[in-house]
Amino acid sequence: MLPQFLDTTNVELIHNLSVYFIVAASTVFALVAGFIIYYLFKYRESKNPGTPEQLEGSQKVEISLTIVATLLTALFAYLTLTTIQKVHDIPENPKPFMTITGHQWWWEVHYNESGAITANQIHIPTGKKILLALKSADVIHSFWVQKLGPKLDMIPGNTNHLWIYAEKPGEYLGTCSEFCGTQHANMRIRVTAQSPEDFKNWQDHQLNPVVSTGDSLFLKGKHLFEQKTCTSCHAINGTSNTQNIGPNLTHFASRKRFLADMKENNEENVRAWLENPQHVKHGARMPNFIFSDNELDALVAYIDGLK
Amino acid sequence: MKKRYANITEGHMHFLIDIPESDDQLPSLKSGHGKLLWISSVDHKQLGIMYLWLALFFFIVGGLEAMLIRAQLSWPGNTVLSPEMYNQIFTMHGTTMIFLVLMPAWVGLATYFVPLMVGANDMAFPRLNALSFWMTCLGGILLYFSFAAGGAPAAGWFNYAPLSETNYSATQGVDYYLIGLILTGVGSIGAALNFITTVITMRAPGMKLNMLPLFVWMVFVNAFLMLAAFPLLNAGLFMMLIDRQMDAHFFLPSSGGSAILWQHFFWGFGHPEVYILALPAFGIISEVIPVFSRRPIFGYKFVAASSVAIALLSYSVWAHHMFAVGLSNAMNSFFAISSMLIGIPTGLKIINWVGTLRKGSIRFTIPLFFAIAFLNDFTLGGLSGISLAITPIDWQVTDTYYLVAHLHFVFLGGSLFGIFAGIYYWFPKMSGKMLSKKLGKWHFWLFIIGFNLTFLLQHILGIFGMPRRVYTYPDLPYWASLNLLASIGAVFMFAGMAVFFWNIYSTLRKERTVSDDPWNAWTLEWATSSPPPLKNFEVLPPIHSRRPLWDVKNPENPDKRLN
Repeated sequence: MLPQFLDTTNVELIHNLSVYFIVAASTVFALVAGFIIYYLFKYRESKNPGTPEQLEGSQKVEISLTIVATLLTALFAYLTLTTIQKVHDIPENPKPFMTITGHQWWWEVHYNESGAITANQIHIPTGKKILLALKSADVIHSFWVQKLGPKLDMIPGNTNHLWIYAEKPGEYLGTCSEFCGTQHANMRIRVTAQSPEDFKNWQDHQLNPVVSTGDSLFLKGKHLFEQKTCTSCHAINGTSNTQNIGPNLTHFASRKRFLADMKENNEENVRAWLENPQHVKHGARMPNFIFSDNELDALVAYIDGLK
Repeated sequence: MKKRYANITEGHMHFLIDIPESDDQLPSLKSGHGKLLWISSVDHKQLGIMYLWLALFFFIVGGLEAMLIRAQLSWPGNTVLSPEMYNQIFTMHGTTMIFLVLMPAWVGLATYFVPLMVGANDMAFPRLNALSFWMTCLGGILLYFSFAAGGAPAAGWFNYAPLSETNYSATQGVDYYLIGLILTGVGSIGAALNFITTVITMRAPGMKLNMLPLFVWMVFVNAFLMLAAFPLLNAGLFMMLIDRQMDAHFFLPSSGGSAILWQHFFWGFGHPEVYILALPAFGIISEVIPVFSRRPIFGYKFVAASSVAIALLSYSVWAHHMFAVGLSNAMNSFFAISSMLIGIPTGLKIINWVGTLRKGSIRFTIPLFFAIAFLNDFTLGGLSGISLAITPIDWQVTDTYYLVAHLHFVFLGGSLFGIFAGIYYWFPKMSGKMLSKKLGKWHFWLFIIGFNLTFLLQHILGIFGMPRRVYTYPDLPYWASLNLLASIGAVFMFAGMAVFFWNIYSTLRKERTVSDDPWNAWTLEWATSSPPPLKNFEVLPPIHSRRPLWDVKNPENPDKRLN
């Protein structure tokens, strides 16, 4: 086995392997295409008319080229096996930092150490290899953030484990990569990588209970939220509502985007969503409640007040 | 029309259905009772042509579906299709092109030409042959009936569980998918049995197995692949049908089933299926390149043996479709190596085809054009296939447009270009008329340019992170422009196909002008008239080598005698 270079991330390992492959494959293709063009030109009828010699082939050429192909295959087989071992190096009793569960069509996120829960908004600290546990609540999904690690499916009934790593703070885009139904296209991922301090602040904030703004519209919205059975699916930590069928809405207002990265989180978009979910994200599991304008005002004030 | 019936003759089988055996031409669609004779026919040539018409019809349907997909994806946020409709259309496009276009296209060519190339007058089981065709046809009709029955299947052509179960696919589309594919699967198994028996028992006297034309050899090997692969698919399809119709839970994890089990069934069939669609194309290429290079194939034995190696290896590679499922490292390593190994016999074949061009006297005909395009594009598809066998690379690019590009390079650049070469090559034999070379060139260049524009670019789209099977996509850098270019490529392919159909239509309207052997070829199908009479051969040339007609035409320099 090759020595483990601690400063080579999984993404870089795979990138390097891809570069070796592209070099080898381009050479092979250039040779094949080159010989085809050369032969077509050299042995075309006008240059080489009549009946050519009826040659049968050459065992020597066949066998030597087979040996070359076998050696090349052996080289890449070796590189493949060692890279698999390094990239998918899951400990015996894995203690995942986060558990991400795929739903049609959003992501449920649990921070296993702190107990923080969020939906769609995925934050991670930089400079640290992070082990994810991947699950599914319904059909098969696949978690893939290209710049942080390879993809891995979320299979109902199974738990898969995946390492991801972010060197620099920033936003990393990804997507569900297994077809999972009507809104597979709008099941995108946005991972926010933060310095460990920023991450800790964010996580502490997520752990705080929701604070009421005391605004009358906010309180009316809170009342409506409970009365209109929103609580049958959506949990808000610090209240009595703990159903986890839909996304957890604690600190919803602190999220930049919603609906699995589909829409920017602002009053207008939230209002449009509550007014007619099927119009915004056709097929989504959210029922159409047919709220009045006044009710919408209050609900939007409430949800956007969950800071 | 003169008819002789194979009735009760001593020592022969008693046919319950009258099989016309005649020296006349095949009944024409234009003549009065021709239509009925075609529908009730058990003649391998008529069935072969019906398979080809079936493939052509569904090619138009599947092609229009592809155009809808490309229209929807031309720019981000486009609304040509609703999400539900898009998902039905891409599912039907894949299912149609695999099961109702590529399969019947090569099965049609093989049904027509395997008996002719081995010097037989029909397939071993003529009525099984008809049953196989009508099963395939019925399967296709049922699959498409789903549109009228509340919605087509929308869970992708490989129909992953549990998305395909009733909880998540409530319409009956998936049921029609299951029943339709069970029927085409039964048809394919019948065809496989027929090919094997025909090749083993119906060869002309003197034609030993190692003297078979390579197309026949590859169909023969392929038939064994089908015999093992399709029962596996049908078992899985039946299990899912029981899940859906009788509330079983083979593939439902919530009640103790396994979602991954379906994938093992499907890909246990699905990977051999890739070779089932590729080997006949290899066979066509192995006929076309030698004839138009005017020399025998480079390394017959290696081409023949590597086909067997591919067939055997193709059973042990299915889980490379499942690298992202989270199998153990040991499993992933095994399937990575077995999948890479298959590159060796495939690469060897490419060397043999390129080697056949060497020191030949190359005639630039349309079949050769497509054979050359096949060599280039299939090599690319094979190489991207090896990159997908390298598990870590697969973890990044699988289920992106890179994979879409790869599979189209294999299915179009490989199977379809082979079939195009075969159709241009054998059209004069089937119809007595030569397809226009001028229109053929238009078809070729429009299609090749469009194909490479669409699918070469999709490799890049995949590397940039665009997932497959999405009805819309965010406006990330380059995604919009690459998608628009891919859609423009599709328009080129569409135009190419329109020229192809016009070429067929206008050629069929002309008079028969072609000689029996217009390409000056060497295998037995060119020893009978164009088109052949109902009874293929009255007499056969002596068969002592792999190229009996070469020996007849060059008595002073015959091939080495093999029997």
